[in-house]
Amino acid sequence: MRNSTHLPTRLPSTVHVLALAVLMLAGGAARAVDNTYPTWTFSGFGSLGVAHADYDQADFTSNIFKGEGTGASHKWNGNLDSRLGGQLSVALDKQWSAVVQLGVEQRYDLSYRPQVEWANIKYQVTPDLALRVGRIALPIFLAADYRKIGYAYPWVRTPNEVYGGVPITNSDGVDLAYRWRHAGIKHTTQAFYGRNSIYLTDTTGVKARGVSGITHTAELGPATVRVSAFTAVLDVNVVRPLFDGFRQFGSRGIAIADQYDVVDKRFTGYTLGLNYDPGKWFLMAEAGQTNGRSFLAKSVGMYASAGYRSGEFTPYLTYSMVDAKSPTSHPGLPLAGLPPGPAFVARQLNGGLDKLLKAIGSQSSVTAGVRWDFRPDMALKVQYDRVTPRDGSRGTLINLEPGFQSGRPVHVTSAVLDFVF
Amino acid sequence: MHTTFMRYLTVSLLGATLLQVAAASELVVIVSSKSPVTTLRQEQVADIFLGQIANFPGGLEAVALDQSIGSPERDEFYTKVTSKTRPLVKAYWTKMIFTGRGQPPKEIGSSAAVRKMVADNPSLIGYIDKSALDASVKTVLLVR
Repeated sequence: MRNSTHLPTRLPSTVHVLALAVLMLAGGAARAVDNTYPTWTFSGFGSLGVAHADYDQADFTSNIFKGEGTGASHKWNGNLDSRLGGQLSVALDKQWSAVVQLGVEQRYDLSYRPQVEWANIKYQVTPDLALRVGRIALPIFLAADYRKIGYAYPWVRTPNEVYGGVPITNSDGVDLAYRWRHAGIKHTTQAFYGRNSIYLTDTTGVKARGVSGITHTAELGPATVRVSAFTAVLDVNVVRPLFDGFRQFGSRGIAIADQYDVVDKRFTGYTLGLNYDPGKWFLMAEAGQTNGRSFLAKSVGMYASAGYRSGEFTPYLTYSMVDAKSPTSHPGLPLAGLPPGPAFVARQLNGGLDKLLKAIGSQSSVTAGVRWDFRPDMALKVQYDRVTPRDGSRGTLINLEPGFQSGRPVHVTSAVLDFVF
Repeated sequence: MHTTFMRYLTVSLLGATLLQVAAASELVVIVSSKSPVTTLRQEQVADIFLGQIANFPGGLEAVALDQSIGSPERDEFYTKVTSKTRPLVKAYWTKMIFTGRGQPPKEIGSSAAVRKMVADNPSLIGYIDKSALDASVKTVLLVR
């Protein structure tokens, strides 16, 4: 890990050892029925989805760690929302337990290599105080720690304008969760510290260290409020070649690279979420502000979603938006006075920077859908999204073609079958 | 005058509710007759069954028992006590399980089976049809 390369192939070593430890803790015991320890539990989840976009100049995708979406790459894409996961947990006694969660979905490099989402050991210090060590889900948004489990939320996918702001779902470290009550309100305060490495391709990835933050959840009857604040130091080398190019162009180029490249840049975020769910209907709204002090710009996202439960059917409506709060253009390197060769390179670099800054998303979406709980462990959802990147940006779209136009709405239709077992 | 009217209204509403409840099956939440727990509020029962608290008031460990999935008793219990329909309870536990916060209550089958288990262990709590009550257990909440 101290190695400066990003090959997260070395990351799983820690996690795999933990995973193996959990599996070996009490070998061979089956799912327990009574209160005897160790108690083994296996739970699985999955989603089978297909999405269609009416646009051929960019891809709509479910998060930025996807290499392809629907639209330009494929009219129909079954990889966007499809995934399969399993979780094995073991309780050794009332205090000690461990869990491993594995997930498979299409990755940035279009492969389907499984990922260890979770692998941690939990020590329940008191019935209300828990300490975990290992790979832990980040509880940054209301649905952040179960955003891979479609069955648990009403929509086809979590609103990308908000959840896309923090695509990292877990960190390797420790967390402490304390439950308490005051004046009839149930509180949970959770603090976490860790690091994360995300593999994108053999040579690119995201490295986050000093991932730390605090999340507070308060519940009163059907109302839940969650606030969180977090920070991390990021290293993202996806566009490193572009900035290495700029660095060849003296102090102006170096200044541009320092301003936008993600080398040891502090990333901060704040979120506020509200959920009101008396059973017959629900209202969910969240807002988040993130700032990466780089091409991961300062931006503010929010969504509001409401649904009505009528028997097995839950129709819902969502409005979501994200706004860039940092400049989305830069004049780049001055070309005047450069000899033809370097001028050509500088123009290419400026073009690359322009493209990158366009990726700082400003976007609005309107979503309408229905969830059908047709079986106890299965839900079928059909959803329509009208996604409009604004202000010259590409919003959350990827794989832009030359004819891409900001401001043109993209119509996305999705269906997903979510199940748990 | 006002208070008399309110009292009349309350009594008639209560009467109507009781009639409705009587028309359907009546559910009671029970603990062992050996348990020191005498009464629980609806929110306390909901918290125990949803894994939000692990103890009875007073500190004794609380372990909830469920009837079979799909049984009318179970659906009625969760709808009335937690305001959650069957798919909502399932979605709730999906969140709890996959965030490492807990496991749902164990499934024990019928009212008679739940009563038998609860009777033997003061830590257990269950819900049964009122007609299945006997002296081995006591009612801590009438489900309405």
